[in-house]
Amino acid sequence: MQVQFYLLQQDELAGMPAHFALTCQLCADLFRANQRVFVYCPNQQDAEAVDEVLWQFDAERFVPHNLAGEGPARGAPVEISWQGPRTSRQVLINLTDTVPAFANRFSQIIEFVPAAEHGKAAARQKFKHYRQLGVEPQTRTPE
Amino acid sequence: MQAEVKAAFGPGGALEKAIIGFRSRDAQLEMASAVCDSIRDGKALVVEAGTGTGKTYAYLVPALLSGKKVILSTGTKNLQEQLYLRDLPRIQSALAQPVATALLKGRSNYLCTFRLTQHYQHVPVQDAALIQDLSLIKKWSNETQSGDIGELTYIAEDSKALPYVTSTTDNCLGKDCPDYEECYLLKARKKAMNADLVVVNHHLFFADMALKDTGFGELLPSMDVVIFDEAHQIPDIASDYFGETFSSSVLLDLCRDIEIACKTELRDHPQLAKTAEKLASLTKDWRLLLPEDPQKGNWRDLFQKAEQKVALSRISDVMQMLYQVLKGSLGRSDLVDSCYERLALLRNRLEKLLDVDKTGISFWFDTSKRHISLHYTPLSIADKFQELVFDQPRCWVFTSATLSVDGGFDHFTRQMGLGAARTLQLDSPFDYPNQAMLLVPRYLPEPTDAKMAQALLQLAVPLIEANEGRCFFLFTSHRMLQWMAQQLPDYIRLPVLVQGSTSKRVLLEQFVQLKHAVLLGTGSFWEGVDVRGDTLSLVIIDKLPFASPDEPLLQARSEDARLAGQDPFAVVQLPQAVITLKQGVGRLIRDVSDRGVLVIADNRLVSRPYGEVFLKSLPPMRRSRSPQAAIEFLTAIHAKSGSEPSKA
Repeated sequence: MQVQFYLLQQDELAGMPAHFALTCQLCADLFRANQRVFVYCPNQQDAEAVDEVLWQFDAERFVPHNLAGEGPARGAPVEISWQGPRTSRQVLINLTDTVPAFANRFSQIIEFVPAAEHGKAAARQKFKHYRQLGVEPQTRTPE
Repeated sequence: MQAEVKAAFGPGGALEKAIIGFRSRDAQLEMASAVCDSIRDGKALVVEAGTGTGKTYAYLVPALLSGKKVILSTGTKNLQEQLYLRDLPRIQSALAQPVATALLKGRSNYLCTFRLTQHYQHVPVQDAALIQDLSLIKKWSNETQSGDIGELTYIAEDSKALPYVTSTTDNCLGKDCPDYEECYLLKARKKAMNADLVVVNHHLFFADMALKDTGFGELLPSMDVVIFDEAHQIPDIASDYFGETFSSSVLLDLCRDIEIACKTELRDHPQLAKTAEKLASLTKDWRLLLPEDPQKGNWRDLFQKAEQKVALSRISDVMQMLYQVLKGSLGRSDLVDSCYERLALLRNRLEKLLDVDKTGISFWFDTSKRHISLHYTPLSIADKFQELVFDQPRCWVFTSATLSVDGGFDHFTRQMGLGAARTLQLDSPFDYPNQAMLLVPRYLPEPTDAKMAQALLQLAVPLIEANEGRCFFLFTSHRMLQWMAQQLPDYIRLPVLVQGSTSKRVLLEQFVQLKHAVLLGTGSFWEGVDVRGDTLSLVIIDKLPFASPDEPLLQARSEDARLAGQDPFAVVQLPQAVITLKQGVGRLIRDVSDRGVLVIADNRLVSRPYGEVFLKSLPPMRRSRSPQAAIEFLTAIHAKSGSEPSKA
């Protein structure tokens, strides 16, 4: 299991929460690299927000995706949900404040560290959690 | 010529002076200049000009200034008239260019005085409406100059009388006709021969090309420039005409004409009447082999059935017999002579349609309530068309608002054998992100799911209410259309119009007149529909418009693609659906001030990789998955345009 923490430089990007914008970019890249992605959200409202952003994303970098409760039987290349995954996928993009119990089913996990100080506590907790699981997370700054 | 064209379009130019509200646009000038180049060097040109670029003027101006002989072909008779009666005179007077122009329609649009006299005297069927229409036509025939059936606005477009007063290639007597000198069709053709610019339609163009139905075929060789508008329709139309059809109705028409001859000129020939009667009865029996409900299918498969083989071998035998009998009566009656020629043609066609082992052809059949038709469609028209285009040095221009798929023209040029053509893509000047929204709602069942109908209803009701009607609700299946037509009136208090209840023209008139109506139709409904302004600001489509896989032409093309080692979905089905959707968006947004929402109730657009091809091909509308966002968009449109009628 590979875990990457993206250190956000600002909390807003292109008029939307920065981690939503970045999720889109990553989904576009991962889809083109033939990776199946699961975007895990804290609630339905956030899931729909990610869905909306992804749908409005550059047509040249289109990302076929579905929300939990819609789409083809095996799911689209990218699935956005506030519930556990229904099918096995390679990549988890975790937008919640905790490490989900199903994290170990993914070979690659992407996390975000908010720019604002008050948001960093949860990220630190998750970082620790991964270490306890025996994984040394990488940190990187988004391009 | 380039300089002249530029001057005409430019500031202070002829168009600006003569046409109120004309504004020069870069895209329009670019197209006009490309048309000039093609006229000069004779290279084929394919131009996609997005809605609102002003493509009509962009080809008319160079065409008129070129001093060459021009054929202009467009999609329908209505568009033909619009071009000929509105756009052409405007540009002509603006350019002060004296050019002889002519409008030429297909054979069935002209009165045949011989057939009118014949059927007015011997009414074929005792039917009150028919008799009334025939006498109205008789009266009109004394007044008309052109003999153009289009003048008969007081007779229904589908009046039963029309086939009796117009001719077909099958029943035209040609030079032997007693009314030959007075023939309206010939007059129209003569006028066209002498004109410098002739406006035709695609059906006429290809019908003549394929049937060699004298007249237009003679016209083409003398022409220097051929311009096709609405060129996206050409592959389908051309495929039809490069194919062959054999139908029970043509056979019965023939039998009926022989019967008429036997009752008048050949009373002494009972054997002829009997043989024709026999053929008519066998033909009717043949139709009865299939169920009454109309259907379509693969003729190769159906012809494997013994009953079909028997029926057709009987028909073929009696046709042979009739041929011999007619041969013995040649020279006694013009009608009989023409029947003899028609029969020869029909025998030839039947032979082709029974040779189902031939490859490279799609064989299919369809039935109506009373008739059956067999069709033969070549898999590819590229060769035939290429031959036509490059046969003689001549300039060819193909234009439409919807030709490209995913930014390329391969789909069109490959089908047409136009690989060497120059291509040009001009974007619409409309501000799509602010004028239009594309909504693909969340959480819809998959398109084939039984729960879809209910979900569609729940989705549509609040949208239609928010928009106070002004909505086209389009379906890919008749079943869903009928279901919705039953349900919808229980949920909304707005007029609901349903396709099929009356003619398309009347439905559209009602839709415009009612202002706040919902029109339920099939997907093809909006091809060629022009509803400007606020009367139409919401279009809901139940599914992505992929043609049904049992559509014979689609099957033929898919087979062709497979043979060429390509993926039929990617090269046939997908591009065709993209063009259909693009057409639809063009109907919703006709003008810089038009606004509207397009709803596609099919999550495959979001969840399948091919969604990318659609998004990249459609104009850059704002996108959302939230019906609430669409409702706000619609409310804002109508608040802005100041039309706040009472709430339903």
